[in-house]
Amino acid sequence: MTRPSFFGLLLIAPALAMIGALFLYPLGFSLAAAFTDGSGNPTLAHFAKAYELYSTDILFTLFIVVTATILTGVVSIAIAGILTLGETPWLVAILRNLYRWPLFIPFIVAAQCMRTFLAKNGLMNNSLVAMGIMEPIQATSLLDWRGIIITFVWKQVPFVTLMVAGAMASVDRSTIEAGRNLGASRPRVLIELVLPQVAQTLLVGLVLSFVTMLSVLSVPMMVAGSQPTMLTVDMAFRINSYGDYATANALGVISYAISGIAAWIYLRHNVKREVQA
Amino acid sequence: MRKSLLLAGLAAFAFSHSASAQTLNVATAGDQNMVDYIKDYLGPLFEKSHPGVKVVAVGTGPGDGGSQKIYEKLDAQKKANATSVDFDVIVIHQKAAGTLVKEELIEKYRDKLSTAKLVTRDTATNSLGTDVGGYVMPMFHSQTALAYNPDLVKAPPASYAELRDWVKKNPKQFGYNGIKGGMSGVAFVTGWVSAFGGDATKLESGPYDAAAKATWDKAMGDLKEFNQSVVITPGNAGTLDMLNRGEIAVGPVWVDMFYTWKAEGKLPPSMRLKLISPGMPGQPMYYAIPKKAPQDKLAAEFIALATSPEVQAEGIVKRFNWYPGIDAQNLEGKLDQAAWNQLFSDITPKDLASNGKAFPIGPYFNDILETYEKKVAN
Repeated sequence: MTRPSFFGLLLIAPALAMIGALFLYPLGFSLAAAFTDGSGNPTLAHFAKAYELYSTDILFTLFIVVTATILTGVVSIAIAGILTLGETPWLVAILRNLYRWPLFIPFIVAAQCMRTFLAKNGLMNNSLVAMGIMEPIQATSLLDWRGIIITFVWKQVPFVTLMVAGAMASVDRSTIEAGRNLGASRPRVLIELVLPQVAQTLLVGLVLSFVTMLSVLSVPMMVAGSQPTMLTVDMAFRINSYGDYATANALGVISYAISGIAAWIYLRHNVKREVQA
Repeated sequence: MRKSLLLAGLAAFAFSHSASAQTLNVATAGDQNMVDYIKDYLGPLFEKSHPGVKVVAVGTGPGDGGSQKIYEKLDAQKKANATSVDFDVIVIHQKAAGTLVKEELIEKYRDKLSTAKLVTRDTATNSLGTDVGGYVMPMFHSQTALAYNPDLVKAPPASYAELRDWVKKNPKQFGYNGIKGGMSGVAFVTGWVSAFGGDATKLESGPYDAAAKATWDKAMGDLKEFNQSVVITPGNAGTLDMLNRGEIAVGPVWVDMFYTWKAEGKLPPSMRLKLISPGMPGQPMYYAIPKKAPQDKLAAEFIALATSPEVQAEGIVKRFNWYPGIDAQNLEGKLDQAAWNQLFSDITPKDLASNGKAFPIGPYFNDILETYEKKVAN
């Protein structure tokens, strides 16, 4: 093994300094604040309080993010599958042009749109009623946990699809054609032949989506009422209403722990891949 | 390319030039309408009477969080021993006003103002239990009340007890925004505790007793049950949105937001207000001058203008639908009858006097919110 050269270290020094100042220092600071009391003694009181006040919200957050990730995966596979295996050129062309749009819309704008779209007497229900598909009395508001999940999935699907469709495009076509020639249906080719070959990429896309969704404040705040709500809203509330950074930091650590699990999966697979390579 | 560079240079020059004239920095907590008020109305008015002065308004965000940010900034500058702070005038909520006075971060300026004697409300001296007399000048008074849709509700509930029964009979027709989505929901909850949780006067004027929260258990349990048949809306505006779309029939709102939305056509004109007994809270916003403000003299003149009867009548009542910060008697003759009647048509001055309450004092206020999080929301 070669020893790192002085010049090499110098080259990465600015990057290291940035990570240190803008990421590691605040992270360490918030960890320290979560585990110590006012005079610096170690304590778990902030976690007890976080659990006492927000245990439902912790479960709610996990439920929302996990469900949204699974749905994102399913929808992305479907879209990417159609793009790769579709045999109706105009449908593929339309889908290819449409699916990326939400990528360019910020979460807060998406939330604002969903707020009027998914409401009980909102655009979606009114359109369905006008088309005669639904009776006005059947209209319900989706502005609760369902609204959050719909917004997240809508926003994250293009991202994951972009990655998965790219990977699918580079899969060896001959395997797909062999499967089709031997009489396998397109869904079967997708699930049994293509998907296993792009599983790594799919997983990476989903892990990144998972972490992104965990950190979004605007969507739960704008789309749904506050009971229960996601941890980001609780953190903002602790700080804004009480100036209580300690409990907010404890909630932050719980968030790190959740995203830590995702990061662990990501790293494990990345390492595996590098070893294989 | 050349031209745009030149333009940029010119713009930079113009900017640095105007900065060298006198600038009055006003930081305001609250919703966007607060910034609009200063930027579009009060600022230009002051600039007209003070040539060469430029009023710059920044908003720090809605609710107590906005005031908290102003406090954190002033506190940080004090701890850093700054020779002057960044703000000349601050507009803050009650909770922050108490803290700022206690930590000696704001100036005791009121008695020098010509308009000081026009203020009569007790919130000008007592801010959630802290004596702020002399330190603050009320900008306006804002009140919460129940808004209702008369097409859906003929006889709205007149008290919290009636509302509780009404909600049982009409599930999912009442909506409020919990306590994390803005102050109208918080107001509804503190009003609930005042109505069902025992000693309401002690909540408003103290003294603080940490054991009191144990007596709210029944009220909070009832509220949890009550929440089963209501809609939790996303935010102050969320409640108004749902009222507008006819998704809920009754909900707590800020009176000024209600009238503004109605005037802008975002609510049907038939919507009405009801201030239920035993009372719902309201609050003033305060003008204050930080210690070491670079333009403290100008700041005092700015506040004097802002609290003059003319500005209170035209700006606060007529344009922004707030209740005046100074005694309403001083506005007589400054305001046309129509504007006056509009503000007091649904909620009469008598209702306001009997059912317009203050928020609980600071420690009770926090206790109520936290008990709510513990017993109702979780």
